[in-house]
Amino acid sequence: MKSVLVVGGGPAGIAAARALGRLGVSTVLVEKDGQLGGNPIKNNYHTLIPRKLKPSQVIGPYIKDVEQNPNVKVLLNTELTACEGEPGDFKVTLSNGEKYNVGAIVVATGFEHFDPRRKGELGYGLYPDVITNLELERMFSVEGKLYRPSNGQLPKRVAFVFCVGSRDRQLGVTNVHCCRYGCALSGLQGSEIREHYPDVDVFCYYMDVRTYGTWEYPFYWAPQEQYGVRYVRGRIAEITYSPADGRLRVKHEDTIVQRPAEVPMDLVVLVLGMEPSPGTKKVAKILGLAQDPDSQFLVPSDESGSNIVSNKPGIFIAGACKGPIDIESSFSEGEAAAAEAAAFLGAKVTV
Amino acid sequence: MAIHERSLVEPERILRKERLVVDGVDVSGDWNLIIMPRVINDYDVDFGKDVLSQPEGKTINQCYQCSYCTASCPVHNYWDERYNPRHFIYLARLGMIDELQKRADVMWRCVSCHKCTHRCPKGVLVEEVLKAILKVMAKRGIIEEYPSKKFDKFFTESVLEYGRIEDGELLFGWIEKQGYNVVKDPILKKPIPFVGETPEWLKDLVMKPIKSMNIGFLVLNAKHMLFHPKTKNWSKFKQVLRKVMQEEGALH
Repeated sequence: MKSVLVVGGGPAGIAAARALGRLGVSTVLVEKDGQLGGNPIKNNYHTLIPRKLKPSQVIGPYIKDVEQNPNVKVLLNTELTACEGEPGDFKVTLSNGEKYNVGAIVVATGFEHFDPRRKGELGYGLYPDVITNLELERMFSVEGKLYRPSNGQLPKRVAFVFCVGSRDRQLGVTNVHCCRYGCALSGLQGSEIREHYPDVDVFCYYMDVRTYGTWEYPFYWAPQEQYGVRYVRGRIAEITYSPADGRLRVKHEDTIVQRPAEVPMDLVVLVLGMEPSPGTKKVAKILGLAQDPDSQFLVPSDESGSNIVSNKPGIFIAGACKGPIDIESSFSEGEAAAAEAAAFLGAKVTV
Repeated sequence: MAIHERSLVEPERILRKERLVVDGVDVSGDWNLIIMPRVINDYDVDFGKDVLSQPEGKTINQCYQCSYCTASCPVHNYWDERYNPRHFIYLARLGMIDELQKRADVMWRCVSCHKCTHRCPKGVLVEEVLKAILKVMAKRGIIEEYPSKKFDKFFTESVLEYGRIEDGELLFGWIEKQGYNVVKDPILKKPIPFVGETPEWLKDLVMKPIKSMNIGFLVLNAKHMLFHPKTKNWSKFKQVLRKVMQEEGALH
């Protein structure tokens, strides 16, 4: 029987490879980085929404299964460079020069975080106390403490700036979508700050709070009710620095009070949007996959009801390469893509 | 200096000084007038914490600004748009003291219909929270003790005494407290309705419905006026209630 190529070793990719390996399908997993696990592992995420588990608890077992399964061949520091042939008989070339004949391909090339330097008015890179939510995660997970990068002290006030690089036509048509995770993660991070540092006041600056589905209570109600995180309606338009007191000022209009405001803050956390990763754009070109004309995320075929079936027969798309998605749904999509790929090969599964 | 578009600037933001010296330069005369910006410079976060620590204010952080309360509020709908419970909660939570102060004249106008509390999808006890906000404002001296609070105290005392209220006694007892010269019956020492000094508006208000009331109902009311109806076994319960309310700081 033909084997399957899985492109990308993030949550969706390892879930697909793990499922294929367990189904007895010979699988090649290529990952451009030196480790599996994707963004959550690479960026040292601290706690994952929605179940508030550590990456090692959620992603760890998947990585272990993939590495131990004899049916899965993991190739790190490797990229897909070319693909020829037809559905059921693809001839793929990898960056390490190896060539494989595969029957189906699962694309799980993921996203990358928005670069906040593109929003110059928010002062990222200019003021050390303006950080990203990734850096805050790293403070929790690696450094184990909250501090102001400018002086190493505990901030009295922390502001979360929602929608940085999301829902923003100023950046072009590419960034009009919602990042989907930001509201929930900020609620969680705000709660964690308030839990460990009850004297720190936390403010979330929002246009609207999109903690959809069952995320509403744990990531919006609980931060407000249990942890006293304050929500202020108004999008931060500019961040400035006052040399007089060494604190930042967040400029915005409080749209409920309908007054302009410049409020002092000690630490400002930018909640970053999601964009398709360079790998996603590259693989889309190599394989001829349909992309959203605006965001450049991959889009599923209109002819199939399933949202993991691509416009090319035999090629399946899973996870954040199709747009913002949470980690656990990425696993599910990877597993669904594995099932589709195995069915496409006509695999006979023995129980 | 004259402001040509004075109507665009609220009077309290115009600062005019007889003599003004900026950086050692005397700018009195033409340049002695300053328009204060509308910008919010800071939050007074302790205000929100104070409200939260009041027994009535415990649910303030549950509000998510849907405005179900304000949409239901008769004071907002029929009287004064500046009376907005949802907005007061927002201002109190962030501690925007100057904005609260702007509304101090309307903030005590709650008629205690409790529609807000009954309808709130987040379980905020809106009416109580507003009382807590008023309490903290009074403590800080940014609002005077509001007239309705005096009535609240009288009402609470009546309920604590009998376990229920009696409309006539409550009304005329209140009229007495307002300084009117009421006439009391010699035995029970209770005000006799409409015999002594009575405000004109009250006569109008009460006489109209009384004319169309049936006689049995009037007799019942008179009986209640004389022999105050009391909840069964209330005297035992009221001691417990008073103690609990004292412990929670709900009695003033």
